Amino acid sequence: MTATTGAGFSARASESRGLFSGIASDAAAAGRVTRYATPKLGGYVVLTALGLLAALIFARPELALIAAPFAVTLAVGLALARQPDVRVHVEIDRERVLEGDEIEVEVELDARDSAPRLELLVEIPPGLELVDGTNPLALRLEPGDERTLELRFRCARWGAYRLGDVHLRARDAAGLLAWEQTLDRAGALRVYPRPEELRELVAPRETQLFTGNRVSRQKGEGLEFVDLRPFAAGDRIRRINWRASARRGDLWVNEFHAERNADVILFLDSFADARRGGTGTLDQAIRAAASLSERYLLDKDRVGLVNFGGVLNWLRPGTGLMQRYRIVEALLNTEITLSYAWKEIDVLPRGTLPPKALVLALTPLLDDRAVSALLDLRARGFDLVIVEISPLPFVEPAPGASGELALRLWKLRREGLRSEYERAGAPVVEWHEGTPLTAILEGVSASRRHARARA
Amino acid sequence: MLATAAVLAVSGVAIYGALEADRVGLLVLALGAGSVVLLVYGLALASPPAIVAALAGVAGSWSASAWTRGAGAPGGTILAAAGIFVAAELAYWSLEQVSVPDEAELVARRAAGLAARGALALALVSFALAALDLHAGGGLVLEAVGVAAAVGLLALVLVLARAGHEVPER
Repeated sequence: MTATTGAGFSARASESRGLFSGIASDAAAAGRVTRYATPKLGGYVVLTALGLLAALIFARPELALIAAPFAVTLAVGLALARQPDVRVHVEIDRERVLEGDEIEVEVELDARDSAPRLELLVEIPPGLELVDGTNPLALRLEPGDERTLELRFRCARWGAYRLGDVHLRARDAAGLLAWEQTLDRAGALRVYPRPEELRELVAPRETQLFTGNRVSRQKGEGLEFVDLRPFAAGDRIRRINWRASARRGDLWVNEFHAERNADVILFLDSFADARRGGTGTLDQAIRAAASLSERYLLDKDRVGLVNFGGVLNWLRPGTGLMQRYRIVEALLNTEITLSYAWKEIDVLPRGTLPPKALVLALTPLLDDRAVSALLDLRARGFDLVIVEISPLPFVEPAPGASGELALRLWKLRREGLRSEYERAGAPVVEWHEGTPLTAILEGVSASRRHARARA
Repeated sequence: MLATAAVLAVSGVAIYGALEADRVGLLVLALGAGSVVLLVYGLALASPPAIVAALAGVAGSWSASAWTRGAGAPGGTILAAAGIFVAAELAYWSLEQVSVPDEAELVARRAAGLAARGALALALVSFALAALDLHAGGGLVLEAVGVAAAVGLLALVLVLARAGHEVPER
């Protein structure tokens, strides 16, 4: 194992030595070499045997002559067949990338002995696409040959992948025997969702005690003017409003809104995923959660995550770059896990949902457990905003009139659900694939402002 | 490309056998044509047993053709044997390409190797035909061939059984 430095976050290098060779220090990583007879060997044996036996039985010499080249190939091929000795070194230039980025994988081959035909396959996990290079590949290596194969992959989908497993198959010169080995050299590749640019965020109704970028309703240190009051002992001179003081004949000071941070909990519903082709509601939710967490953290808010699905995960609210990485790592591990366990929101520890937190739910509203949990949250007084990731683009109605009717009923039921949330005081905004998230958030913010103005 | 070449080689042997046959030419042709169809099937579905059956079939068609002409092996056997051998090599090469294609340099080397093996097969069969004077047919020579067949078969089965074993990395 060696380590090198390279572009990007970090570099990883892995070496598998002893592939098809006689050294076994890294046997666990290199895996076992399996030798087997190829179909060609079986075929040639059958043809030889048939030819010779038929020649004897039917007394036909030409059959023996036809079998002769096959017999000679078998004899010479098997006598000369040797296990190849090739060493393989796999290097990935980065281990953390953003969705859509490209990574380069270098496979270095060092032949200690000849490999007349070496097939090499770098296992590509779903979510990565080969954009440059040949995979799989069959090549010939002479003793002492060193080859470097460069493969370029595009990271098409977010996720945590294992990349670097190499499958090797070598054949002897006659193609009668084959040796196979899998090199378990996979390293973790983390493809982070590419954050969307958000112009506006949903402002939490309540702020917390720590300094931040949000204008609090409380008075304190800040920039936003709120009121005037008479001067009191201990007030700083620079806070005196000289114009108001001159007009009133007494000293008056300015008061400001305090600037505080807020707690934001991203509630990710991973009970169900409506999916078609390469995309689905969970993908949308993950990307949105990544974008939102990044942006709220930039605004010095504390951000937490509740991953509510078949498996319940949560991250306590926190700030800073580390928290951003924690959230993204948690998002990468999100998957739909089938579970019939009833998870009440009460099972969440108190610290997971701090008081006065804004709960921003990203849900397709497909699973009753998530639907009820959100209603429970609202009943407990949390400031709740629901971004409904519409599953409609991923749903195809069943053929026929009954299918159409079922779809209409299902849509009506969803309308009813939205009304229920709105009656409970939790705005629901429907987000269709292709619509920028920022537009959705602006809509939510506007509706909250109007609601506050009406109140 | 390789599969087409294999089919052409087998077709050539089948047609040659039918043309050379003194009688029952149609039967020889039918046997050869069946082998060609079987080979096409085997190559299309990447089925090694079908390829073996096709090669055995075309060898049988040539043998039937030779039988119509007498007891000994005709001179055309040299071409037929080399043709069947080259067809087999091409067919198995074609099967390998289904999973992983060769890079250009390897294709060139393998093509050269195949040409050399074809030439060697031609020389080997010519030499055998001349040295053993198989035109006479039968007798001690064929008995020796039979014994060689039995011993060779046993040896190859043993080799196959050993080859199937998994070898842990040393």
